[in-house]
Amino acid sequence: MADNNQKDPEPKVGVYICHCGGNISDHVDVAKVAQEAEKLTGVSVAHTNMFMCSDPGQELIQKDIKDGKINRVVVASCAPSLHELTFRSAIKRAGMNPYLYDHANIREQDSWVHHGDPATEKAVALVAAAVSKARHLEPLEPIRVDARNHATVIGGGVAGLRAALDLSRRGIQVALVEKSPFLGGRVAHLNRVNPTGEKAADLIRPLAEAVCNDAGIQVYTCSRVVRFEGYVGNFKLGLKRQPPETPEDLAKLEKWAESGKKEGDYLPFAGYYPQKVPNTAEETEISTGAIVFATGFKTYEPRKGEFGFQENPEVIPLPAFIEAVAKEKPKGGTLTLNGRPIRRVAFIHCVGSRQIPGLHEPDDQGNLNEYCSRTCCSATLQAAIEIREAFPETRVLEYYRDIRTYGRGQEDQYERAADHHVLFFRYEPEAPPVVERAAGGTYPLTVTVKDTLTFGETVEAGVDLVVLAVGMEPNPIQDLIEMMKLPVGADRFLQEVHPKLRPVELANTGILLAGTCQAPMDMGEACNAAQAAAVKAATLLSKGYVELDPFVAKVNEEKCTGTGACVSACPVEAITLKEAEHQGKKIQRARVNPALCTGCGICVAECPNNAIDVMGWTLKQYEEMVDAIVAA
Amino acid sequence: MANDATRSGKGKILILATESCAYPGANSVGQAHSSYPANTYILRVRAPVLFPEKFYLDCFKKGISGIIIMSCGEECPYEGAYHALAKRIDRVFQMMKAHNLDIRRLRLTSICTVCNRAFLKEVNDMNALIQELGPPEFKEAA
Repeated sequence: MADNNQKDPEPKVGVYICHCGGNISDHVDVAKVAQEAEKLTGVSVAHTNMFMCSDPGQELIQKDIKDGKINRVVVASCAPSLHELTFRSAIKRAGMNPYLYDHANIREQDSWVHHGDPATEKAVALVAAAVSKARHLEPLEPIRVDARNHATVIGGGVAGLRAALDLSRRGIQVALVEKSPFLGGRVAHLNRVNPTGEKAADLIRPLAEAVCNDAGIQVYTCSRVVRFEGYVGNFKLGLKRQPPETPEDLAKLEKWAESGKKEGDYLPFAGYYPQKVPNTAEETEISTGAIVFATGFKTYEPRKGEFGFQENPEVIPLPAFIEAVAKEKPKGGTLTLNGRPIRRVAFIHCVGSRQIPGLHEPDDQGNLNEYCSRTCCSATLQAAIEIREAFPETRVLEYYRDIRTYGRGQEDQYERAADHHVLFFRYEPEAPPVVERAAGGTYPLTVTVKDTLTFGETVEAGVDLVVLAVGMEPNPIQDLIEMMKLPVGADRFLQEVHPKLRPVELANTGILLAGTCQAPMDMGEACNAAQAAAVKAATLLSKGYVELDPFVAKVNEEKCTGTGACVSACPVEAITLKEAEHQGKKIQRARVNPALCTGCGICVAECPNNAIDVMGWTLKQYEEMVDAIVAA
Repeated sequence: MANDATRSGKGKILILATESCAYPGANSVGQAHSSYPANTYILRVRAPVLFPEKFYLDCFKKGISGIIIMSCGEECPYEGAYHALAKRIDRVFQMMKAHNLDIRRLRLTSICTVCNRAFLKEVNDMNALIQELGPPEFKEAA
C-alpha cells in the first residue's frame, strides 16, 4: 500500500462523480464529466456512481486508496455541508489523511440551477477547479482542545427538562437556565395531551422533580443568558438572575400565591416551581462545553378583528379555552363558562398558520407564518372530544382547511370526533368563515362559511363561543440569536445544519437544538429532539477534548522576515513575534497560537512576503482554482 | 473542452462566497431550483478578507469578467474581518481605475443563508453588466 499521507511530489487525484439518483445526472452528463476529468493534470482515476455517499460509493474511493492508485480525492456531488464529513471519514478509514480531499458542488450549484450543456460544462469547470486545489493540498491534523464536562440547556420546558436529565444521566454536569419562575413550558398549559389523553401534569411534574432532585443539574430560574464567548468545549456564559417582571410571570406567581403551594410543587397552567424568585438582580458566569437550545414557542396572537377576535368577548384562542374548560368539573349536560351556558362552540382551524401572501395580513415586521403549525388540528380534535364526552349537550362545529392529524394514533381522533357527532365544515383560504355578532336570535354570534364539503353551500350557524386554533411562533430570542450568531430560517425558527441528516445540530459547533425553537412539533417530537441533542452533546464532551478543523494560520518560516504586519492585523491576538535564529542571525518571526486563531485569513492578505496562509484554504490553492476556471 | 460561456464570449463571473452565509445561500437558491446564468463560478471562502488586492487584479488579468464578493456583511463571524475587507476593496477600486478597469466589475455585497432573491439579483445584474462591458481590457498602470 502506498504512503498516502505524505506530501507527494506527484499528486494522484481520484475524481468521483455522483449521479445522486438522477438529481445530478438528469441534467449533467456525468460520464462526459468523468471523461474530461481524466484528461486533467494529476488525475489518476475518474469514476461515476449512482450514490457516492452510499457504502458502495465510499468503498470505491477506499479501494483506490488502498490500491495505491490515488493520494488525493475530489468528490463531485451535493453541497459539501451534507457529505464533506462522510467522505473525510471514509478516506480516514482507508488510511489516508482526511484533509487530502476537496469537494465540487455540482448539485445545488449546478444541476439544480442549470440544465443541458451549460450544466455539464459548468460541472467540468468545477471539477477542474477542485482538482487544481486538491493537487496542492497537504495532510493536516485536527486541533485538539480540552472540553469541559458540562452542558448548558437554555429553556425549562419539556424539551429542556428531558435534555437536562438525559445529559446528567450520561455523566455530564448540567446548568438548566429558564427565564420564568416555573418549569414545564407550554406543556404545563395543557390539560390532557393528545392522543394518549394523559394529564400534562402527570408528565411534567415527575420530570421536573427528577431534574430538580438530580445532583448533577443546577437549575437557574428567572435567569437569562446575557453574555457569550468561547468555542465548543470552552464556552463562557454570563447569566443574569432577576425578579420576574413580565405580566405572564406575575400573573402565574399571583395564582401560585393564591394556591398556598410551596417550592417543589406543581400548579396546572403555571408549572413546577422549584425555587423562590430572587428579590434583586445578580449575575454569574458559567463555563460550559456545549449548549442546548430549548427556548420553545409562543402561540400566535390573532390580529384585532381576525375572526372577530378582541371585538367579541365570545371569541377566544384555544389555549385560553383549554384552561377555562379544565376548571369545569364534568357533570354531563351543557358546558358552562363564566356562568354562561355554551350550547354550541365553533372551532376555527389554521389561525396564524399556513398564511398566504396577499391573503393574510403580515405582522409589524412583515412576517407571515406560511408553515403548518402541525399540532393544532390534533389539539382541537382533542378539545372537541373532551367537550362531547364531558358535556354531551354542547354541540361542536369544526371549520377546517385540511385535517392534518399526522402522528401515530392521531388519525383515530378524527374518527372519534366524527363518532361523537362533531360537525365538520371545510373552507378555502380565500373564503374563510365569517364571525359576526348576531342580530337577535338565541346565540350571540353567527359563523358563516362557504362549505366545500357540501359543494359550496353557504352555511350559517349561531354559536355561543368561537375558539381559534392558533398556531406556533418561535419565542422571541433575538438577543441570543445576535449574541451567538445563530442561523435562522425564513420561518424565523432556528435552522439546523440539515433537516434530515443533521437535524439537531446548528452550524455553530457545540450548539444543539431541542424542541420547538426549531420548528412546530408536538411533545413526543420535542422529546425526541431533546434526547438526540443530549446524546450529541454527550458524544462531543465525553472524551474530555474536542477536535477542531485544522484550518488555522501557519507561518512559512523560510519566507517570514518578521515584519509584524500579521501581528497588528490579527483581531484576536493569535499571532506574536518570537525571537528565532536564521543563518546565524537572530531575527523576529511570527508564531500562531492555533487555539486562538479563528482562521479568518486577515493576516494572509497583509503579509508583504506571502509568508502566512490558512491551512486547507491557501492563496495558492485559490489562484490555481481561478486558473482552472479560466481555462475550462 | 471549451465552456459555453467562453465560446459565446459571455464572460465568466467569479463569486467568492463565505462558507457561513453566502455559500449556503447559494445552496438555498439551488434547493429552490431557481435558475441563473451558468457562467458563474462559486468559490467557498472562510472570509474574503484573505485575498490581497493583487488577487483581484490578477483575476481580471487572467480574463475573469466580473467578481462578486458575497460576504456575511456585518454578520461576519470573524471579528473585524468585514471592515478590513471593505477598506481593502476601496483600495482595489483605486487600483482598478489605474488599470483602466470599470470598477463595477467588482462588487462587494452581503448574502445571507436564505437571501435567494438578493443572490439572484446580484448574479443577474453582474451578468447584464459584463454583457454590456464585454471582456476586461487590463492595461498596465502608468
